Amino acid sequence: MNIIVNGRIAGSRDLGCALCGSTWGNYYEEIEGQKLFFCCDFCAKEFKNMINEAKKRKGLTTIDEIEIKGNFYTGRTLRVKSGDKVYTFYVRFNDEGEIEVFNEIYKSQ
Amino acid sequence: MPLCPICEIKYDDWVSVANHIHELAKKNESSHIMWLNRNLETRETSVRNLADKLETFFDLKGKGLANWIREKFIQKFYSDKPHPLILAMQKPNRAVLLGYVLEHQHFLRNWVRVLSLIIAKTDKDDVARYELENIAVEFLGWRDKPSHYELLIRMGESLGMKRDEIFSTKPLPSTLSAINTWKRIGETKTWVETMASMHSLELVADRSLRTYGAKMHYFNPSILESEEYPQAVKDFLREGYEADEYHAEEALELVEKYSEELNLVEQVQVTVIKSFDAFSKYLLARLERAILIDSSVAKFLGGVVNEYYS
Repeated sequence: MNIIVNGRIAGSRDLGCALCGSTWGNYYEEIEGQKLFFCCDFCAKEFKNMINEAKKRKGLTTIDEIEIKGNFYTGRTLRVKSGDKVYTFYVRFNDEGEIEVFNEIYKSQ
Repeated sequence: MPLCPICEIKYDDWVSVANHIHELAKKNESSHIMWLNRNLETRETSVRNLADKLETFFDLKGKGLANWIREKFIQKFYSDKPHPLILAMQKPNRAVLLGYVLEHQHFLRNWVRVLSLIIAKTDKDDVARYELENIAVEFLGWRDKPSHYELLIRMGESLGMKRDEIFSTKPLPSTLSAINTWKRIGETKTWVETMASMHSLELVADRSLRTYGAKMHYFNPSILESEEYPQAVKDFLREGYEADEYHAEEALELVEKYSEELNLVEQVQVTVIKSFDAFSKYLLARLERAILIDSSVAKFLGGVVNEYYS
């Protein structure tokens, strides 16, 4: 699964947190069969919740690429590519890292 | 004296603060990492560099605390990437305005209660007088004018929502979280910190921010003359447009004077930044409410985010 955060490839210690792109911290979790770098457990929780919600909403079994844009101040867009399908959502989390807003904003292409 | 902007432990110098934050970041401590990401730097840097950045961030540059607060507010909400709510307010639709009404009623009800904590804690009469007048303007009405709270509810009615329906709508979790932040500040912090945390937020509608570098005003002033909006919408927006310049300016002068007198400048700085984060969350909650009324607002928000990070 390729991960792009605000225009940069992310998900490893050198490249940055798979959710926010930060290189602070040193937290790893295996998600979708991949060992991913996060700056903290909070970002990891948000990332997992976001992926699970996208899979649940669209009935996806695998994800090939995700592109995340935005931050705490704007909320985030999530573009998910699975095979030849592409979905884009607007996402916001609550204080516990759970999904608060998850709206599809563009139809699959 | 420098202090950690997150846990507020005091240190002798900025290198010690940086060292403390660096150590916690290495242990993945999320609140410290989030503060760095939101305010300073998303790329890991050395203790020395971090100390320099922290010192620069909190440096008043000889221009005083009120100016520092104004600058930070502009950076957070009115920079090259204005807060999405500010963009939505340039041409707000019914859903955005109803989102304003439904969430802001809770903001205002909490507002006057937190201001009352300032009055309860301060021994300064100029501060008590300022806050009492603000409470009257916001909640009771002042000199034959209806209160901002009443004008807000009338705006909601003019958009087709019944008064009872407005009052019975509970705040969204993000609004509640922000309100609890300000309540906690009022209950646990000094009155100067509380005063700074609350009245700095009135800068959002301060017209003079444009002269300090803000990219736009809180809303497009042409709305005040537009035929597209009900009179009650224009009446509500006009009140804020005309009042908040005076409100924020006078309050920040009091904050600057007393934070120096009581040696609380650094405390005020870190608390104000916490208040700004709560405010950002609250402004997004208003758009979140708008999404519940009209899902096309989510497309607008997504479009803003995509444009900012393209």
